[in-house]
Amino acid sequence: MTDGWRLFKRAAEWLIEAVVRLCGWSAILFIFAIFFFIFHKTWPLFAEGFDLREFLTSARWQPTSTVHPCYGILALLVGTLAVTGLAMALAVPLGLGAAVYLSEFAGGKTKEILKIVIELLATVPSVVWGFIGYMVLGPIIIAVTGAPVGVNLLNGGIILALMSVPVIVSVGEDALKAVPDSYREAALALGASRWEIVYRVLFPAAKSGLLAAVLLGVGRAIGETMAVLMATGHAAQIPHSLLDPICTLTATIAAELGEAPRDGTHYRVLFLIGVVLFVITFIVNLTADLVVKGIRTEKE
Amino acid sequence: MRDDVPNNTPPKYLLAAETAEGAVITLGSADSWEELLDLLAGQPENDGVPPMAYRLIRTAETEAAVKKKPRREYFANFRGAGGAGREDDGTESAPWWGLDHAAANLAARRFDDLPPLAVREWIRIRHKEPFTPGALERRKRIKEAVAEYVFLAMTAALVIPIVAILAYLVVKAWPALSFSFIFQNSEDSQAGGIWAPLVGTFFLVWISLIISAPIGVLAGVYLNEYARDNWFTRLINLAVVNLAGVPSIVHALFGVGAFVLAAGMGQSLLAASCTVAIMTLPVIIASTREALAAVPMAFREACWNLGATRWQTIRTLVLPNSISGILTGVILQVSRAAGETAPILFTGAALFTSFPYHLDQPFMALSMHLYAICTQLQGVSDSVQYGTAVVLIGLVLAVNGLSIGLRVYLRSRKKW
Repeated sequence: MTDGWRLFKRAAEWLIEAVVRLCGWSAILFIFAIFFFIFHKTWPLFAEGFDLREFLTSARWQPTSTVHPCYGILALLVGTLAVTGLAMALAVPLGLGAAVYLSEFAGGKTKEILKIVIELLATVPSVVWGFIGYMVLGPIIIAVTGAPVGVNLLNGGIILALMSVPVIVSVGEDALKAVPDSYREAALALGASRWEIVYRVLFPAAKSGLLAAVLLGVGRAIGETMAVLMATGHAAQIPHSLLDPICTLTATIAAELGEAPRDGTHYRVLFLIGVVLFVITFIVNLTADLVVKGIRTEKE
Repeated sequence: MRDDVPNNTPPKYLLAAETAEGAVITLGSADSWEELLDLLAGQPENDGVPPMAYRLIRTAETEAAVKKKPRREYFANFRGAGGAGREDDGTESAPWWGLDHAAANLAARRFDDLPPLAVREWIRIRHKEPFTPGALERRKRIKEAVAEYVFLAMTAALVIPIVAILAYLVVKAWPALSFSFIFQNSEDSQAGGIWAPLVGTFFLVWISLIISAPIGVLAGVYLNEYARDNWFTRLINLAVVNLAGVPSIVHALFGVGAFVLAAGMGQSLLAASCTVAIMTLPVIIASTREALAAVPMAFREACWNLGATRWQTIRTLVLPNSISGILTGVILQVSRAAGETAPILFTGAALFTSFPYHLDQPFMALSMHLYAICTQLQGVSDSVQYGTAVVLIGLVLAVNGLSIGLRVYLRSRKKW
C-alpha cells in the first residue's frame, strides 16, 4: 500500500464519519428548524402589537369577520381538552385492561394474534378513522341519541379513543413486562392470586411505565388532526354537552390555512396556534420521556 | 340420675352417617358426650367409599327429631390424611386427619363452658380431601376468574368493534371494488377510478423514502455506534422522541414555512415528500438503533482486532447483521407515509390534477383523495367513498403485513 492510498483511505473514513455525525445531529436540527420556521411566521404579529392575552383567554374565534375579526382560541383549547379528556376516559381503562390481559392472562396463540391485531390497528391512517367517524359512527349516534348532527364531541372522543388505544396497550404491556419476574414469584410464594399480583404488585411496580403509556396516548390524541377534523363537526364553541359539535386546535389549522390569505393576520394566527400545539405536545412528550427515564434509573 | 332413666326411653346421643344418596343411617348410640366421641374415633377409617359426613346428635328424651341446621360444622379427612383444622367455624381449608384426631379435638373443645350440645342439636363432621380449597381460597379463585374475564372483556371491547367496523367498510365497498376502479382514471372524481391518487401516493412514498431512509439509518448508526453516553446524546434522543410526538399538522406548517415558501419549492410533490420524510424520520432512527443494538458486541470486537476501522466494521459486519430490523423500520415508514394526510394538505396534494406528475407540480394522493371525496366534493356515491377507504387500508395493511412477514422470516434465518 502506498502512502497516498493510505492517506486517501484515512480521508474517506474521516469524511464518512462526518456525514454520519451530521445525520445523527439531524433530529436536533429538525426540531429547532420546526420551531424556527413556525415561530418565524408569527413574529410580525407581535411587531403589530397582537393582543396575546385576548388570544389565550377569549372564546370568540371569528377570524373571517370583516367588521371585527376576533382571534380567541379558548374555545378551541377547551374543544381539544374536552375531546382528549373524553378519549382518555374511554381509552385508558380499556387500554390498560387490555395491556394487563395481554401481559398476565393471555397465553400462546391468543396473545400472538391479539398483539398482531393491535399492531395493525395502530397503522390504520387517521383519515380513515375520520371517514369512519363521519360515515359510520355519525349516523349511529344520530339514531341512538337523536342528536341533530352525528359529528360532535362524542363521535370525536370515541374515534380518538380507538386511535390512541394501540399506543396505550403496547407501551403499557412493555411496562408490565419490565417488572422483574422475581416480583411475581415472590407474590405467588406468599399465596397471592393472579388478580392480587396485578393489583398489589404490578400496578405499583409499573406505575411510571403505565403513566408514560397514558401520556403518550394523550400526546397522540392532542396532535391528531384529520380524524378530529372530520368527526367533531368543526364549530368553534365551548361545548356544553357530549352532543355539541366542537373544534380543536389542530382541526382549525387544517380547515382554515388553505383559505386564509397568505401573510394576513389570520394566516399568522394559525401559525401561532401551531406554536401553542408544538409547546403542548413538547411538554407532554418530555414528561413521558422523563417518567420513563425515571424508571430506568430507579431500576439501576 | 342415669339409673332413673327407663330402658325404653331413646338414647341421649346418636352417631349417624350421611350417605352420598342423602340418607342418614344411625351407626350407634351413647349415653354421654365422651362416649359418643369414643364411638366416633372407633369408626373404621374407610378406604373404600367414606360417608359424606358424620352427625353427632343429641336427641330429646322423648323424640328423635333434630333442628334443620347443624350447630357447627367441622372438616375431617375420613381416610386419615390432612392437616389440622383449627377454626371453630370450619373455614379452615385443612381438615383434621382421621376420625380419632377429630374426636380428640372435639373432646378438647369447651364450647364456652356450655354442654357440648343442647337437646335437639347436632354437629356435622364433613369429609374433605386434604388440599381442597377452603372458603377463603374459593373466594380468591372466583375473584381471579372474574378478573381474567373482565380483562378479556376489555380487550374484546377494543378489538371486536374495530374489526366489525373494518368488515363493515369492506361490505359497503364491495359494489365499487373492481379492477377498473383501481387501475383506471376517471375524468371527474365522481365516478371513481383511483389510479391517479394511487400513483401519487406511490411517488410520495418513494421520494420521501429516498430522503429519510439514508438520514434515518445513518442517524441510527451514529446513535448506536459512534455516540458516547453524554448529555449531547441524551439531547439527541430527546429530540428524536419529540420529533415523533410533534403533531402532523405542525409538520404541515413547517413544510409550508420551510419547503413551500422559504426553499421556493411551491406546492409540489417534492415539498410534500420532504415534509413527510421529516415526519417519518424518527420511526427509521428508532428502529435502526434497536436493530444495531441487537448485534452482539463481540462481533465488533473481533472485527476491530483484525484491524478494521469503525466504518469498515459497520459496513461489512454490523449493517448486514441488522438489516432485518432496519428494513422493518423502513417499511413501517412506508405505511405511515402512505396514510398521512395532514402534512400534505398544504404542501402539495391537490384535489384534482392530471398525469403526468412532476416534482415541482401538485399531485393527487390516496389519503387526500379520500378526505376530498368525503367532505369537500358533493355527490360522490357511497360505495366509491368506502372503496377508496378500503383500498387505502388494504394498502397500509399489506405493507405492514410484509414488514411482519419479513421480520419473522429473517429472524428464523438468524445465526446467533
